[in-house]
Amino acid sequence: MTLAPHQTSVQPVDTVTVSVDGIEVRVPKGMLIIRVAELMGIEIPRFCDHPLLDPVAACRMCLIEIDGQGQPQPACAQTVTDGMVIKTQRTSELAKEAQEGVMEFLLLNHPLDCPVCDKGGECPLQNQAMTVGRPEARFDEKRRTFPKPINVSAQILLDRERCVSCARCTRFADQIAGDPMLELLERGAQQQVGIGPDAPFDSYYSGNTIQICPVGALTSSLYRFRSRPFDLVSTPTACEHCASGCALRTDVRRGVITRRLAWDDPEVNEDWNCDKGRFAFLYTADGRVETPLVREDGRLRVASWPEALDTAAHGLAAARGRAGVLTGGRLTREDAYAYAKFARLALGTNDIDFRNRVSGDEEAQFLASMVAGRRLGPTYSDLDHAPLVLLAGLETEDESPIIFLRLRKAVRSHGLRVQAISAVRTRSLDKLQASWWACQPGNEAWALRQIIDGPQGADALAGLRQPGAVILIGERLAGVPGALSAAAALADATGAKLGWVPRRAGERGALDAGALPGLLPGGRQVTDEGARAQVAAVWGVRSDVLPSRIGRSSSQVIAAIRSDAARADADSEPAVQALLVAGLDVEDSPEAGAFRQALDEVPFLVAVSTHHNEVTERADVVFPSAVVAEKAGGFTDWEGRVRSFGPAIRESSSVADGRILAMVADVMEVPFGTGDVASLRAELDSLTPSTVTRAAAPQVASSAAPTPESGYALLATWRLLLDRGRLQEGEPHLAATARPTEAVMSRATANSLGVANAATVTLSTARGSVTLPLAIGDVADGAVWAPLNSEGCALLGIGATYGSVVRVTGGAR
Amino acid sequence: MNPLTEQTRASMAEIIHRYPHKRSAIMPILHLAQSVQDEITPEGIAMVAEVLDLTTAEVNAVATFYTMYKRSPVGKHHIGICTNTLCALLGGDAVYDAVSERLGAGHNQTDVDGTFWLERIECQAACTHAPVMTVDWEFMDCQTPASAVEVIDRLARGEMVVSTRGPAIRDFQATEHTLAFPDDGLAGEGGEADAIMLAGLTVANQRGMSAPPATAQGA
Repeated sequence: MTLAPHQTSVQPVDTVTVSVDGIEVRVPKGMLIIRVAELMGIEIPRFCDHPLLDPVAACRMCLIEIDGQGQPQPACAQTVTDGMVIKTQRTSELAKEAQEGVMEFLLLNHPLDCPVCDKGGECPLQNQAMTVGRPEARFDEKRRTFPKPINVSAQILLDRERCVSCARCTRFADQIAGDPMLELLERGAQQQVGIGPDAPFDSYYSGNTIQICPVGALTSSLYRFRSRPFDLVSTPTACEHCASGCALRTDVRRGVITRRLAWDDPEVNEDWNCDKGRFAFLYTADGRVETPLVREDGRLRVASWPEALDTAAHGLAAARGRAGVLTGGRLTREDAYAYAKFARLALGTNDIDFRNRVSGDEEAQFLASMVAGRRLGPTYSDLDHAPLVLLAGLETEDESPIIFLRLRKAVRSHGLRVQAISAVRTRSLDKLQASWWACQPGNEAWALRQIIDGPQGADALAGLRQPGAVILIGERLAGVPGALSAAAALADATGAKLGWVPRRAGERGALDAGALPGLLPGGRQVTDEGARAQVAAVWGVRSDVLPSRIGRSSSQVIAAIRSDAARADADSEPAVQALLVAGLDVEDSPEAGAFRQALDEVPFLVAVSTHHNEVTERADVVFPSAVVAEKAGGFTDWEGRVRSFGPAIRESSSVADGRILAMVADVMEVPFGTGDVASLRAELDSLTPSTVTRAAAPQVASSAAPTPESGYALLATWRLLLDRGRLQEGEPHLAATARPTEAVMSRATANSLGVANAATVTLSTARGSVTLPLAIGDVADGAVWAPLNSEGCALLGIGATYGSVVRVTGGAR
Repeated sequence: MNPLTEQTRASMAEIIHRYPHKRSAIMPILHLAQSVQDEITPEGIAMVAEVLDLTTAEVNAVATFYTMYKRSPVGKHHIGICTNTLCALLGGDAVYDAVSERLGAGHNQTDVDGTFWLERIECQAACTHAPVMTVDWEFMDCQTPASAVEVIDRLARGEMVVSTRGPAIRDFQATEHTLAFPDDGLAGEGGEADAIMLAGLTVANQRGMSAPPATAQGA
């Protein structure tokens, strides 16, 4: 956990020679003594030291002796100098006595509640008290106590008497998260960690403080008193909530997840994760589809697996060539690949689309050209070393929180410049000291073109031409015509690395797996005969089995079903006879209404789902599938890095989507393979990444956002990290730390809309309205920001999305 | 309690302008908030955080560290009695006990009607005049239990009290305002150094003693 930072190239470094416990070593100049000792395998006890936090020497536990310096020195804050002679507790009586003294001091007021403390069993204080502490306490006075515990947020609880004032939590909040809402208060005899009056520690990263607390002072509402560490079975896993790709550890007790921790991956999430990744896992428990279901006389009833497989196989076989597959963005890469393969082999169609969101042809072409099947990169490490990062259509803290942490680290460590084309100057931009280029929603394409050839673009253009510069774009640019074309052109013109950051964990994997109408696995184009032959060879079929025409996107499939249903002529063959839908929620679709009707109207509907939802209730056959924690698989993060994991809940008998499809294919007598995760993974890995011929980048001209009439504004919106997403269900403490649901606009916009004095505003479309508290903030003039999917503000439900024109009216003050 | 107003905010802005970094202004600004509200309230912390672009936790950390910031109303007068070594040896504890009995209040407490706040204070660098009492941070030198209680009685009756070093006693909030704006013209109030303060210098002059000359290294 404490290796030196990753270096992309080997550079000579100045070294010094020091002696530790009589052993001479040569180490890089400027290294901390405690790190040198670690490299040598010498353990110096510590609490406040953390390799990713600035040294503070607060706990004094790591005192060691340095020749020539009379007093013991803290090893965590002293750097080595040439010729330094260091003696740790192993060889120095002075250091040993000093450490014993500090330990005795730290324990003076520490309660003896280890038997009921969450940390007991994995507690650095407990462990080090055993290794370096005195066997018996001499202190028999009354201990300092506090009322316990206090909430520093709805999720994070603080037992002040357990605290050893190491300041890890406060330094994390300030240095790493940029949310200095935790502080040491009442410094002196009553020193304690605390918050401002009525200002809870609602940081998106708050849970990390629990994990780095070296005692049991910080605990979570979710996990407190739930388990003992030694009763847990731990599995390394990957986070399913976004495309950041965090390594996690999932702890299970008797088949139930009790907690998740950030696991150390220096290349990706370092030691951190976000609160959604840490606390949002209770969705796995409730509302599950438990058995196969088959519709009979208009109602779903429980069915055996063989019956359900038979029914599905017959219905789908009858629809061969006229079936669509919608997979959503949540599947593992292996499962998405299974759908991509099933669509081509069993259904004879390219009508497959993972994009249950705003999307379009330009995006499909962009992804085919620039992203699908490509090798790793740009990476987190590229962000670490970049001189400039340009963000467009991406709010990092909400949409990919580990990218935010990495950018902040680079800003702090080497002055990375961040520039953002955004409708809103968000808190994260302030924390990154970013330059904000106010851009009305829908004008991103124009703004990107301005950098290339606009009069004010020269500075930015020069910045992006520096070696290592990176452009990061979010998935909502898919809804802005010309924006992805402009981003590709800008990367081309400057040589900057271009990263596409989708929001959902499964999107990049599904793209690489070929779950798109024009793409086979590895970015191969369905229209490319050679590419089809490569895939057919891996699948063990003749290449003319694979359909060669570009398929229909999700909106085209939905539209086709609707037009089938609208035709009075019942004799003609429907264009879509059957639909196979995987893990998605209808309400996430920008055309949810039409989607719902299409699900009602399609002649045959098969749902493979973990939970009961709007798809399963309309389906003819429903298969229960495993949630991420119950199966092996992998996600591909925004970098293109594969994050494989095994099942955390090993007791589960749930079946992954890939196996279900294999069983259906078996009944259909289609050669599919066993569909187990290992064989799917092996096939997929042989197909991606690839170096096949890519489609050309899209060249869609940019257009300006519409100018709203009086009383209307352009809507800027995205999903807050914590909102009413389905995978966050069942965790009220986490939900209570969400950011407020409010509409934000500039003072000038509020004035021109005549709502400057309003307490609330109502945003309306032809389909409905939402009413929200009004806040004045830094938003591009003419635009209003509101969360896409928060409690009381489900904008897709009123047909509004990024760039929509909405009517704005004021409520009474 | 007085509310914080736009005038308060404007005064804060005036203080901020004296510093190269906004956050450096936190201490005088907290004194300013205290001069208006007689204590540091959550409202005060929120306004200070807002004008300095800090979080309320950061302001809270400062406000809870320094003992001159109070988190309950001080009342009209702040009475500090030094009980550190020299003052204690020369009767500081006796002065404290007498005043405590007179006010019916202990350390960091107010009397029953909330007029006086009593506090054992740390060394005021006035050991020459021990034991010392401060009234709204103005010195009352060389106190006895009787003289200290008399000061309290006169303040309670609303009579004019003058520091042994010259300045007239106003009230706690007025002092807090001076701490926020030390250039309010009152800095030079009071007398010159007195004979006790200069005793050492006088002896040195009589005996022709002087400091050794500074060396080039400054050592």
